[in-house]
Amino acid sequence: MRNKHSVELKVNGVKHSLEADTVLDVIAHFGLKGKPIIVEADGVILTPEQWSDKAVASGMIIELVHFVGGG
Amino acid sequence: MNNDTLRIGGRSLASRFFIGTGLFPNPFVQKEAIKASGAEVLTFAIRRVNLDAVEDDSILQHIEDDAFQYLPNTSGASTAEEAVRIARLARASGLSDWIKVEISADAKTLLPDPIETLRATEMLVKEGFTVLPYISDDPVICRRLEEAGAAAIMPGAAPIGTGLGILNPYNLGLIVEEAGVPVIVDAGLGTASDVTKAMELGVDGVLMNTPVAKAKDPVMMACAMKHAIEAGRLAYLSGRIARKKYASASSGLEEFILK
Repeated sequence: MRNKHSVELKVNGVKHSLEADTVLDVIAHFGLKGKPIIVEADGVILTPEQWSDKAVASGMIIELVHFVGGG
Repeated sequence: MNNDTLRIGGRSLASRFFIGTGLFPNPFVQKEAIKASGAEVLTFAIRRVNLDAVEDDSILQHIEDDAFQYLPNTSGASTAEEAVRIARLARASGLSDWIKVEISADAKTLLPDPIETLRATEMLVKEGFTVLPYISDDPVICRRLEEAGAAAIMPGAAPIGTGLGILNPYNLGLIVEEAGVPVIVDAGLGTASDVTKAMELGVDGVLMNTPVAKAKDPVMMACAMKHAIEAGRLAYLSGRIARKKYASASSGLEEFILK
């Protein structure tokens, strides 16, 4: 398996340097695989089916959100 | 009472209790309180995942029954555009196309911004959401929200989390009288009598979080609120007696033995 690219992304408002080719790699990096999360990349919401296709590049802004308790 | 169902956005609800999922002491108490409440509609917020503590996890892992209707809110939004963005994220969960529009004007009162709320409602209705806006107890803005296509209108009884009860029963009564969509009192209720009073005014349901979650015994309070909703609803449907200034005896005095 070839190595993934080093990218610098802004994830949930914070800069992170990590090895990732796709959005799915980013999700896996943060230990969120299989968790009920919603993903937005550069302002566009991605369906779970799109996570493995969507390539990431340095400078991308990614939001990983989920449901929390609220009224 | 069995056929006294509430219909919102094509869904029939047997319970008139919408319960929030914030502020509970722990997931176990929350689950028991939800069970005791009999609520079918659960509210949530949308927030960033805490990347430093991902095992801390989503609220959803503690909610087992998928028979619930999820009602995510747009809390944290201060403009219509922000609310629409949160609503789209919520819908992308695939769990619900219902959205509670909640756009606070300031942090001190958390009172809803009526102009932004109306704009967001218009935009979200166009996008096919089932929109339930949280709004002030103003009959005019409630009418405007209904005209914009809101599936229900959710006037506050008092500011969020205050437990002050119904500050303006006159306005709530007017809203009920004029509304062509269900009216859900959202925010500000404190205890069972507040809830009964709201239901007696003819509202279709109540949404509560803090008064249950922050009660000393949330599970018992959830049960109390459930009964309060039922009591108030039954009293409303039964038709209360008119208020009189002076007494009227229950047995009559014509055959009184001492005369």
